[in-house]
Amino acid sequence: MAGRWQWFHRLGSPKWFYEKTTRWLPWLWGAMALFLTVGLVWALLFLPEDYQQGHTSRILVVHVAVAGASLSFFPLMAVAGAVTLVWRMKLADMVARNAAPLGAWFSFLTLATGSIWGSVSWGTWWEWTDSRLVSMLFQFFLLLGVISLRAAIENTETAARACALLSIVGCINVVVIKYSVDWWNTLHQPSSPISMEVGSPNGPEFWVATVVMIVAVYLFLTVSLILATRNEILQRESKARWVRELALEAR
Amino acid sequence: MMKPHRRKRLGIILFIAAGLSVAIGLTLFALSQNINMFYSPTAVANGEVEAGTMFRIGGMVKDGSVDQRQDSLAVRFVTTDYVHDVPIEYEGILPDLFREGQGIVAEGRLDSAGVFQASRVLAKHDENYMSPEVRAAMEQAGASPENHPFRESPED
Repeated sequence: MAGRWQWFHRLGSPKWFYEKTTRWLPWLWGAMALFLTVGLVWALLFLPEDYQQGHTSRILVVHVAVAGASLSFFPLMAVAGAVTLVWRMKLADMVARNAAPLGAWFSFLTLATGSIWGSVSWGTWWEWTDSRLVSMLFQFFLLLGVISLRAAIENTETAARACALLSIVGCINVVVIKYSVDWWNTLHQPSSPISMEVGSPNGPEFWVATVVMIVAVYLFLTVSLILATRNEILQRESKARWVRELALEAR
Repeated sequence: MMKPHRRKRLGIILFIAAGLSVAIGLTLFALSQNINMFYSPTAVANGEVEAGTMFRIGGMVKDGSVDQRQDSLAVRFVTTDYVHDVPIEYEGILPDLFREGQGIVAEGRLDSAGVFQASRVLAKHDENYMSPEVRAAMEQAGASPENHPFRESPED
């Protein structure tokens, strides 16, 4: 009985997390650099131009990758939040706390790359009547809301619980963003289906670079989140013996 | 297994989340007509839009319908959903993607003659990306892939 849940409780140990990630980080950095380089070079130099949009469609590689990753923040914060609420695990809250600003940046980048793209191919930077655009803007504001809520409540545990609840509720908006293009009339295109056949619409010559970039962006997300969480661990656990020993070593 | 007080907490969270999802889902469902960005030419023909109101119409630019004035930016074309047509008049800069057989969303009003006087015209592209060579090869093979940025019946 104890054994089955042991791995889970070990996850809650900041020290365990810190030591493990010390070993993982160089690999993650390396993989991220590799995927990012391949993805960007491919998108800028080797991706074929689109018959309608020409070179403009190259921004798709970045826009789709960043947009997809930005949708992962609320589910991530919700799971971490549920763990915080049910098991009162400190590490889960540290992850959730650092995910919010990162998610806000991802949402901002999605809006920015989308705007630039739209200004060229649609003829407009922004449309208030497009539900895909507005629901993504709403996610950006919701993340700013989570950050503000955290800052507004002085007690760390109360703040953690309030943010956890808001994060769980915020997941509904992710579903709305995802299906907005199917449920309503929008200027934004629906998601492109992928085709396995080279030389067909949406064939591999178009989507492989995007997949490479999606992996790169998720690696970037993971590395950023780990680095921020490690920082927070050192701050919150500064009284712990292992942290003090670490500080002495570093000196 | 999980301790009872933890299971209870988890239960409460799931209950709140489920309740809110249903509430928001129903709200969005009730609002769904207002969330749509534009009306189709068929909806306009069916009189779903009140006369004289400002609205957006979305459809394809009918082949052979674009009449661009040489001495000004005025343009006249027909938008269609292949069921009904609506003529559009516009004066201004068109997006680069504007062409016959392309999806557009125009903002404006219907005049008394049934012509849509547009104040803005935006391009709407579909979700299919391909190189010009692939497009040409497909056309040659007779499998001309239609550019269709609109769903079968946008009003459903």
